[in-house]
Amino acid sequence: MSRPKVAFFDLACCEGCQLQVANLGEELLDILGRIELVEFREIMSENWPGRYDIAFVEGSVVNDEAEERLLEIRQRSDILIAYGSCATIGGINGIKNRRPIAEVQHAVYGERIDWFPARPTRALHHLVRVDYSIPGCPVYPPELIKVIKAALAGLPYVVPDYAVCVECKFNENVCMYDKGVTCLGPVTRAGCNSWCINHGNICYGCRGLVSNPNQAGAKEVLRRYRLDPDRIVDKMTMYNAAMER
Amino acid sequence: MDQQALLPQARLGEFVAFLAARQKLIGPVALGYNQYKFAEVTSLEELSLDYLPTILPPKKYFLPYHERLLSYDLSDGQGMEPVVEVEDITLFGLHTCDLAGIQCLNMVFSDHPRDLHYLTRKHHMTLIGLECTDYCDHYANCAMLRTHLPKGGYDLFMTEMNDHYYVDVNTYTGEVLVREADLFERVTPLALKELRSLRDAKKKIFQNELPIRYQDMPKLFDDTCDSEVWTQVGDKCLACGNCTNVCPTCYCFDMADEPELGLTRGHRVRIWDSCQHETFAEVAGGENFRGQRSERQRHRFNRKFHFPLERYKRVFCTGCGRCSRSCMAGIDLKETLNALIDERS
Amino acid sequence: MKTMALHHCSYQVARAKVETVRALTDLEKLFRLVLPDGEALNHDPGQFVQVSLFGVGEAPISICSSPTQLDSFELCVRRAGRFTTALHQLNPGAEIGIRGPFGVGFPVIPLEGNDVMLIAGGLGLAPLRSLIHYIIDNRRDFGKVDILLGCRDPQSMLFCDELEVWRKRLDINFSCSVDRGAPDWEGNVGLITALIPGVHLEPLKTVAVVCGPPVMYRFVIQELLKKGIAERHIYLSLERHMKCGLGKCGHCQIENLYCCRDGPVFNYADIKNIKGAI
Repeated sequence: MSRPKVAFFDLACCEGCQLQVANLGEELLDILGRIELVEFREIMSENWPGRYDIAFVEGSVVNDEAEERLLEIRQRSDILIAYGSCATIGGINGIKNRRPIAEVQHAVYGERIDWFPARPTRALHHLVRVDYSIPGCPVYPPELIKVIKAALAGLPYVVPDYAVCVECKFNENVCMYDKGVTCLGPVTRAGCNSWCINHGNICYGCRGLVSNPNQAGAKEVLRRYRLDPDRIVDKMTMYNAAMER
Repeated sequence: MDQQALLPQARLGEFVAFLAARQKLIGPVALGYNQYKFAEVTSLEELSLDYLPTILPPKKYFLPYHERLLSYDLSDGQGMEPVVEVEDITLFGLHTCDLAGIQCLNMVFSDHPRDLHYLTRKHHMTLIGLECTDYCDHYANCAMLRTHLPKGGYDLFMTEMNDHYYVDVNTYTGEVLVREADLFERVTPLALKELRSLRDAKKKIFQNELPIRYQDMPKLFDDTCDSEVWTQVGDKCLACGNCTNVCPTCYCFDMADEPELGLTRGHRVRIWDSCQHETFAEVAGGENFRGQRSERQRHRFNRKFHFPLERYKRVFCTGCGRCSRSCMAGIDLKETLNALIDERS
Repeated sequence: MKTMALHHCSYQVARAKVETVRALTDLEKLFRLVLPDGEALNHDPGQFVQVSLFGVGEAPISICSSPTQLDSFELCVRRAGRFTTALHQLNPGAEIGIRGPFGVGFPVIPLEGNDVMLIAGGLGLAPLRSLIHYIIDNRRDFGKVDILLGCRDPQSMLFCDELEVWRKRLDINFSCSVDRGAPDWEGNVGLITALIPGVHLEPLKTVAVVCGPPVMYRFVIQELLKKGIAERHIYLSLERHMKCGLGKCGHCQIENLYCCRDGPVFNYADIKNIKGAI
């Protein structure tokens, strides 16, 4: 059996997720034994003219050029995997959607506004069919590998629809709320093994919200801990603004 | 060998070192912010024996949150081998509420069909209890459930007194420990008197925290099945699952296959799940039989105070207070029960 | 931590071989399976098995053949999710894993000597078929047999060839209705509940067995009670997601009952007051 041809692409992003792939270490070697890597700008210079069995796309769509590029990738790929917050939920790029696009363009580009035609930020699934989503800023390597296995086996992968708190409890971290800090763990989808909290940081909600978040309940929690409800809204929109439609 | 012994307090460190040298020793350690967890220790200095119930109860050693059940190899069709992950462990300093929790899980997993993964692991555990002489905090409701007193389920049980630990030797394993440690003394009449007065003092401190007897709980839940209290609890609940994950008697799980990268070999695993999660009771067609947070919370309370009484003749709440302590939304077990009692009267 | 082999456990699977695969509709396939050495599954009608494909997972599937069929058993599988999609890709000769049979099946013994009313909606015909075949194979032991079938439209009808046989048999009264007709459909159009009033029955000696989607139960039961059938004489098969099949994992729990252990077939009188059951 020939190995599937795999390519990595990036749209508007920091390329941090590609770095996670490049940093997989020994596991990357195992993966490379299972696939044929045909394009990956960050670690190789070759281009591939043919079809891709699997295309990984990082980054969100913020202009027409990116949209065209994404459509072409989709057309040339059997399986399209959106990875990273930018690609799966818009991520940080979504912050600009909080204001009218003209205002944003003006603030950033000033007089040269015409040089940089921009559009509101969109996640990949807003424009094309996405076969697998791996959220996270950056992606959590064990989840990335899980999805690669699922894709190779032709099986779907579903991002858990329960809160980061679940995994955070498994790791027995002291709750951020008990430390007097706002944390988006209770409303953010798990799957990252509470990566940030394990290392002393809060959850920023980079994996998107659970399907049915209790927003009124979350505000009540903040009141209970004497935290500012506006802070949580700010934190939620840091990654999730492009998902509000 | 007597069924009771005394351990001079000054020799506790030696006993801990003895236990740690024998096999992996687990005990409560401090995490800061007055929070604790069970973790591996090798000396008394690492332990925090004056502790609030740990974030996760000792069930994490009996029913790990991620556990291999089978190993498979697709090169042999659906060939598989049942496997169990085990380790000889001594759990030290268990409170009576946590011992009660282990007893509950023992019943469930000994119930037919027996769960040999759980039961195999259980036989590799040595359990050493430690008595609470006062409430850990206001969340506990152990007196209501009579779990503030030792009721078996341990190999050794220690009660701290003025100069000694009074040690109840409950099993042959316990007897061997006492003999081999060679640190214990015979119980004196004075020590017995001291223990009696300690227990008398506990009677005054630990009083039923709720205006109801636990035997009457099933009736309470029958009467309040459509109560407004559940709606209020549901409105607060974030469905994060903290209450069930930290519960010493919650054991719901999911199963999944974890293939190795070659996809030929892999493991079927069991992972903790929670009845509080949105999709827990969903079926393939998409119908969700407990789609409301209020229904799920009611289910959780029923699984503690109502359903197990019929099958196991036992309340599955140990009074440890973990669910209330870990709930960010402030859903408090005692408050909820009080609200139900109030509404009914 | 060391990993040891366990001699035996409730999660181990038995191998079964796919003997034949038949597409019943666009969504449903019928798998005929054999156990090693042709061993019988030895199930009760209405019980289910956990079907396993390593690397994919497990799913509970009701057995749709009768235990009177000794050399093999059948599963009717709707393609609905990750597992069933993988199952649908299997061809004859493939191997699958089986755990079970599990649960409490249909009340075969109490049905004997009584008139039997069998009501199926949609995919509910699959588990009920195990009972229908059992009754047909022991036809003498039962009184009058009525089979009422409801489905969405003629295209989604399962086991069409068998339905024709049942329709023609003199010892079975078969009627069926579709929610939406089709140009060449000559039968009843409407909900299954509309078929019940027309059935002639002696309420005191009739036992009804109902199997279908959750929404169907309430209305069908109402009609049955109107006919004078006692609550105790109505049996239902409930759908829940049984993950372990062992009465432990909690997913299929209905109040204090585990659908996998105490069901999936329940007596209506036992569950009518149980919140969330129907």
